[in-house]
Amino acid sequence: MTAHARLRERLRHSAAEWARRRQGLDRLPLTLARRRLYILPTRAGLAFGVLVLTMLAAGLNYANSLALLLAFLLAGFALVAMHECHRNMLGISLLEASAAPLFAGSAGSLRLMLENASRLGRYRLAVAVVNEAAVALDLPAGRRGQLELPIHALRRGLQKIDRLRISSSHPFGLFRVWTWVHAPIVVMVYPRAAGSLPLPADRGGTSGSWPRGAAGTDEWRGLRPFRDGDSPRQVAWKAYAREAPLLVKEYSAAGSPLRLLSLEHTRQTDLESRLAQLARWIIDAEASGDVYGLELPGERIPPHRGPNHRHRCLSALALYGAPRPAAAAQRR
Amino acid sequence: MITARPVPRQPLPPLLWVCGASAAAVLLHATEVPPWITISALGLVGWRLAALLGPARLPGGVARAALSLALVAAVFAQFGTLDGLVPGTALLMLMAAVKLLETRSRRDQYVVIGGALFLLLAGCLYGQALAWVPLYGADALLCCSALAVVAYAPVTDTEAFAAPIGLATREVLALAGRTLLYAMPLAILLFLFFPRLPGHFWALTSGENAVTGLGSTLTPGSITSLTASYEIAFRVRFDGRPPPRDKRYWRGFVMQHFDGATWTVGWLPPGLTQRLECLSRPYRYRIYLEPTFRRWWLALDTVMGSPSASVRYTSDYQLIAAHRVTRPLTYSAVSCTRVRSLAPLAPAARREDTQLPPGRNPRTRALALRLRRRAGSDVAFVQSVLAFLRTGGFSYSLTPPPLGPRNPVDDFLFHTRTGFCGHYASAFVDMMRAGGVPARVVTGYLGGKWNPYDGTLIVRQSDAHAWAEVWLHGRGWTRVDPTAVIEPERLYHGILDLLPHSVSAPERLVHAWPWLGTALERWEALNGWWNDRVVDFNSRAQLNLLADLGFRSPQLRDAGWAFAVTLLSWLAWVSWQLGKAVGEPVPDRLGRAYAQLCRKLTRIGLPRGGHQGPLAYAQAIMRRRPDLAAHVGPLLEHYAELRFGSGSERAHDRDLRAFERAVARLAVRRRERPLRT
Repeated sequence: MTAHARLRERLRHSAAEWARRRQGLDRLPLTLARRRLYILPTRAGLAFGVLVLTMLAAGLNYANSLALLLAFLLAGFALVAMHECHRNMLGISLLEASAAPLFAGSAGSLRLMLENASRLGRYRLAVAVVNEAAVALDLPAGRRGQLELPIHALRRGLQKIDRLRISSSHPFGLFRVWTWVHAPIVVMVYPRAAGSLPLPADRGGTSGSWPRGAAGTDEWRGLRPFRDGDSPRQVAWKAYAREAPLLVKEYSAAGSPLRLLSLEHTRQTDLESRLAQLARWIIDAEASGDVYGLELPGERIPPHRGPNHRHRCLSALALYGAPRPAAAAQRR
Repeated sequence: MITARPVPRQPLPPLLWVCGASAAAVLLHATEVPPWITISALGLVGWRLAALLGPARLPGGVARAALSLALVAAVFAQFGTLDGLVPGTALLMLMAAVKLLETRSRRDQYVVIGGALFLLLAGCLYGQALAWVPLYGADALLCCSALAVVAYAPVTDTEAFAAPIGLATREVLALAGRTLLYAMPLAILLFLFFPRLPGHFWALTSGENAVTGLGSTLTPGSITSLTASYEIAFRVRFDGRPPPRDKRYWRGFVMQHFDGATWTVGWLPPGLTQRLECLSRPYRYRIYLEPTFRRWWLALDTVMGSPSASVRYTSDYQLIAAHRVTRPLTYSAVSCTRVRSLAPLAPAARREDTQLPPGRNPRTRALALRLRRRAGSDVAFVQSVLAFLRTGGFSYSLTPPPLGPRNPVDDFLFHTRTGFCGHYASAFVDMMRAGGVPARVVTGYLGGKWNPYDGTLIVRQSDAHAWAEVWLHGRGWTRVDPTAVIEPERLYHGILDLLPHSVSAPERLVHAWPWLGTALERWEALNGWWNDRVVDFNSRAQLNLLADLGFRSPQLRDAGWAFAVTLLSWLAWVSWQLGKAVGEPVPDRLGRAYAQLCRKLTRIGLPRGGHQGPLAYAQAIMRRRPDLAAHVGPLLEHYAELRFGSGSERAHDRDLRAFERAVARLAVRRRERPLRT
């Protein structure tokens, strides 16, 4: 990175910080209002300005009316272009932003939903997570548009995406209008899955403190409260119709291997590698249809299986050792 | 909310637009630069297009550099310089086209569009004729559209484009056109109020020599092409009554020096010191002179003073400016058609005005001496020479036979006896001088034609004329037009009317089809307005405008104020105009059409209940008015389908239009005896 680019990066950052102080934190859905749209000429716009000034000088010097008229016309053109550029983003709504969990060191995506409720088509809105690549989007009149922004995670844990940049230099590229959105978007970053140790052996029904009979799809076990991500097919709709809370039917898996995973089974030396090994095991166990539980110091997840269970386990790994960040995410 | 995705359109290749803008800018200059430059520039654009659309390969960096150098050298070889408007334009045309060859990034494309805009500026500097304005406008539109296309196109390697809708050609043109239209009021207001500077920052370098019109020499016997031109020489607006047609002599050059074949302006006479007495009415007028590329300003017959401080008023009544007239020029003057000099002719001037080359045209000289001896006075001598011309079997023709180089006047007077104004004026002055009477040839224009649409007198190049002036004792310089003796009608009619077959094609066309002449007059009136009000708008006109607007003793600063107020009000207007659409929701056309349908039904006593959906409403109507079921039922079903059904957007659009039309066409009538339920 050259000194010039570094300086620009610093300037950008401090401008964005200033905007955050000025605008406060945002809550979705968010409609882009006038006072949060910033606009500046692009490099092409500056060059265009020089061109117009040259024309003006030539027209004045040669007392050439038509050259002056052309210079004035192009000056007016640039000013109208500025207004058009500004209104290209005015009134757009950012409805929601969510990201599926991802593994540290891998790329994921942040899913955004934008809406243009006006009768004006919007073009070439470039949306980006700060320091990531932008994705452009057109929003015709009265329409919603969804886009997925690439995000990268380096470390496990809860990653906050605290700044989005929406910008556009439509229609003529002479100006760029942009805004920063500081919405508390949190992405769960699982530990990197790595390690080559075999899965700990099947504990059958002999586990000491672990009850056998975790969830599966074979034998009826009972009802439990609905959690995000549960399959609708498992929801107890009849109970729901009787105005009971949303419940999920659970079945137990008979005959599947039962694996209890804990830090003690890993033989790596440092904590991150051990967590990586655990993550690897969880993925493998889930993939082969095993029933598995997780034990971490201070946390114990009973054996179970299914995507929710996998998420729960991997999240526990992700957050292991970190201060409970849920509180931080809730802060406004 | 309609969820169907519109079909993405093919993205417009931005380079195609850039090439188009470049080619259009090159073509603007096709008439000014040598053809090879236009052809080369277009060829380079074509090369880029071929590489874009086909298998052609682009040159590498070294080849490009060599090409640039070769082109610069060629331009230098063509013009001998790279300075000046034409060489500069030629260079810009070629270099912008070479730049196009290495256009890869978006920035390169912007550079090429900037080059095209500069070429447009050069076009404006060349010519400000109204006829070119639409072309300039179209070129500006094209350049701005190209900007939009370039800005829209994704930068493929750094940016993903999630859902491109694409910009259709029509949309791009509409976008650029609308933006330019919004800019137009500002352009006009700035044009009026932006403070103008009197004078230049740096000197003009106008190396143009496109001389048309009158020359400062006159060689009877060599072909003149003046009459072939239907171009306007100048226009005149008289303040008050104009002089009669046969007195409308417009003085251009006064030629004193004769070498036996060619008249030239010769010495530059001193400024006028003697007083002139005006014997006719003084005529006030304003002249709108087209560029002549000479220093002479034209004026009616004998002008009574210099119209500008920088223009010298010479002792032979010429107006000679310090600089050549390279742009349309406007000035006011006062002239008389008959004057008397109160002072005698200076000896130096007399010597000059009786000068004849020794040994040339001997027969003419002999004849003149004979006639002078017979005549009692200078006036009688003039009369006898005119009588000789009248009775000597002379005829008027624009295509006379050529004259010998040695004694052309002898040739003309004694052999060919056919010629036009130049021949007669030349021969007459030669004879006068031979007889000892000071005389000189004056060239300029005679007559002119009224344009009924703006009340100006239009004098064309084809109105060029030559006549003589002789010095008569007690009167001073007196105009004598020997051509009028041969062809008296020349005073009252243009050349066209006299010799319809010897004039230019456009003039013949106008003569053959009077409506064409009318259209031409209108067009020229419009041109006149353009030249006076737009092209000629300068700091003085601006101050006049401010005075009209109520500024007392307006100054540059007032123009600045007017400029600031103008700019702010325009900005407010644009902001309001453009901001309107942002707050407005998408119009619900379907809802509007449905409401119209319900209104129609309510009017015949079939209101829709608040609880009724379209299908329930249809059933209710069917029960009460079975006769309407065939018309109204399907419509309501159609509505339900459109509102709640699913389908592609394109089909939806088409069906919506059909529904709107059907609702508009629907005519329902109240039943004669309403059925009671």
